[in-house]
Amino acid sequence: MTKNAATQERTIGASRSRASEENSKQPLLGTIFDFASRQYLLGILVLLCIGVGILKPAFWSGGNISNVLFQATFVGLAACGMTLLIAGGILDLSVGGVIAVSSIAVATVLPYTTIGGALALALVIGALLGLFNGLLVTYVRIAPFIATLGTLYLFLGVAFIWTSGNVVSITSSNYRSFTTETIGRIPVPFLIFIAAAFLTYCLLYRTYFGRTLRAFGSNERAAVLAGMPVKRTKVLVFVVAGICFALAGVFMSGRLASAEGNMAIGFEMDVIAAVVVGGTALRGGRGTAFGTFVGAILFAVLNNALNLLGVASYWQYVLTGTVLVTAIAIGARRSSSAEVRGAG
Amino acid sequence: MADSTAAVVEELVDDDRKRSAERARKAEQRRRVFQNAGVLIPFILVLLAGIFIIPNFISSSNITNMLVNAAILAFVGYGMTVVIAVRGIDLSVGSAQALTACITVAVVNSMGPLAGSLAGVVVGALLGLVNGILVTRFRVPGFIATLSTLSVYRGVVLLFTGGAPIASTSTGFNSIATSSLLGVPVPFIAAVVLGIAMAFALDRTRFGKHLVAVGGSPESALDTGVKINRILLFSYVAAGTGAGIAGVFLASQLGVVNGSISSGLELEAIAIVVLGGTSMAGGRPRIGGTFIAAALLSMINSGLNLLNVPSFYQYVALGALLVFALSIDGAQRSAVRRMLEGRN
Repeated sequence: MTKNAATQERTIGASRSRASEENSKQPLLGTIFDFASRQYLLGILVLLCIGVGILKPAFWSGGNISNVLFQATFVGLAACGMTLLIAGGILDLSVGGVIAVSSIAVATVLPYTTIGGALALALVIGALLGLFNGLLVTYVRIAPFIATLGTLYLFLGVAFIWTSGNVVSITSSNYRSFTTETIGRIPVPFLIFIAAAFLTYCLLYRTYFGRTLRAFGSNERAAVLAGMPVKRTKVLVFVVAGICFALAGVFMSGRLASAEGNMAIGFEMDVIAAVVVGGTALRGGRGTAFGTFVGAILFAVLNNALNLLGVASYWQYVLTGTVLVTAIAIGARRSSSAEVRGAG
Repeated sequence: MADSTAAVVEELVDDDRKRSAERARKAEQRRRVFQNAGVLIPFILVLLAGIFIIPNFISSSNITNMLVNAAILAFVGYGMTVVIAVRGIDLSVGSAQALTACITVAVVNSMGPLAGSLAGVVVGALLGLVNGILVTRFRVPGFIATLSTLSVYRGVVLLFTGGAPIASTSTGFNSIATSSLLGVPVPFIAAVVLGIAMAFALDRTRFGKHLVAVGGSPESALDTGVKINRILLFSYVAAGTGAGIAGVFLASQLGVVNGSISSGLELEAIAIVVLGGTSMAGGRPRIGGTFIAAALLSMINSGLNLLNVPSFYQYVALGALLVFALSIDGAQRSAVRRMLEGRN
């Protein structure tokens, strides 16, 4: 009887989100089913791929697939950092600036140093710019999205001044092959993106840092009163995000074989959209690395489909904005509370 | 015995009340000092630097130019002041201005200057209405709703123009921005008149009081029976209309417009509003401050142009100006808080 009831409970509960506690007792099957029932986005992605594949068979060609995966990687690597930030109730609009500055740094030093040195420099610069953002938000106490809007233009200005508005080309063929290598049809950067997404998950749910982050994301005052190192963690999450953005910049510049000031203008929209569509709520307190992973691929497929179908590229601006605002409106309707920390 | 205790208590309460009133008065005084110093000191410094260091700064053509630019900025700033005063933000003003400017020129060419100007203002108001509906009906946080529409409106204007510039063929329309009354450019007069009207409306009308109440404390305003959603909707429409009016004057000033003008305008608008003393914490619109800050920014831009500074440095100057304004705002708030709590 009890066994029967438990089974029944499991089958009903699997489709509900609150059944996760129940399922933890029935490890494998229940967890997988529960996980799958929440990943409606994955279903949309599969349907989209099939649909586009039927309309334009060229979608499934090897070159196009690796192209889509590359696009997903650029957005996705940056989105990993953004997922952490949004889980903490923070938003960073300076993505485009960080990518530009770190890529230009790579392109400038490459002729004089090894690939490893250039890579390290890019990541250090990303970390420093993130640190700057973090200090502005935490210690000068400026609302995150407005502070980073200011630093976006500050960083872009630095990038333009550094290059005098020109394009810096990357001639090192080793660097280019390092950043654009593929194993079969799967680009190596995409594998790095998978690793980064997994690391993001671990960072969010398996570390003290992630716990503090989620704590002040859902209630900053409570986290402070509980004695958590909120300020330090806040600065640190900006630094981690800065490193993620710089990493995206490294692969982007490798793919473009050049770096310039406006290589990633408007990129913050794509990144935020991928994170939010993936299911990380702007309220903070929760974050899903897997959702971000799917969201990044979804947007890459969507944009690729528009290109294949010959739609004017300006429609991509309209589409990204509409999808973003729709996703948030649906989320707000479901939770009937759209309070966002740091908005005022 | 009981009587004397009551008298003593009363005296103590009275004393305390007096002290807290005194503290509030001093806090208000300190706030005013911060707000005025924050905008007036830079204004005077830049003005003096311009007059004594920069060649041709006080030539009549440059003064006219600066006044027109200040007026165009001020229109956007007025709308942004209202939105920020209700704790919102409008990041889409740049795209909205570009769209209104392009539509204005298209309508001017087909139906004449009057219809064109009207169309521009109406389109601006409609774009603001879309933002307002997203925020009030769909409960999307203001900054993310307008970040999305920033992208959408930009896409729409690029689709509308097809990426090509549109030239206005009406000489009558093109002379609006440069015409002058008693030596003062017409747009400047319009900005002053509208500014005075708005300052009056915010300070003296019931609607203005409600707006300040919503910005100061939305919860209390709701409990008092103020229709919050209507106020929020109106403030976003005001921001859109401001961008629309500015777009009409900009179209008239430039004569030739394209889909990519006014990008980054949101940063200038937010910078002048905050620099003018309107607090990001809401509830304190300062139209006069916005106007002076608009003139300051116009002087800075013009000065940098006359000194032949590459335009990239203007990005940096703008980013730094915004961070400076926000730091002043933060310092002002914490100084006032300290004052009210009786420390220092």
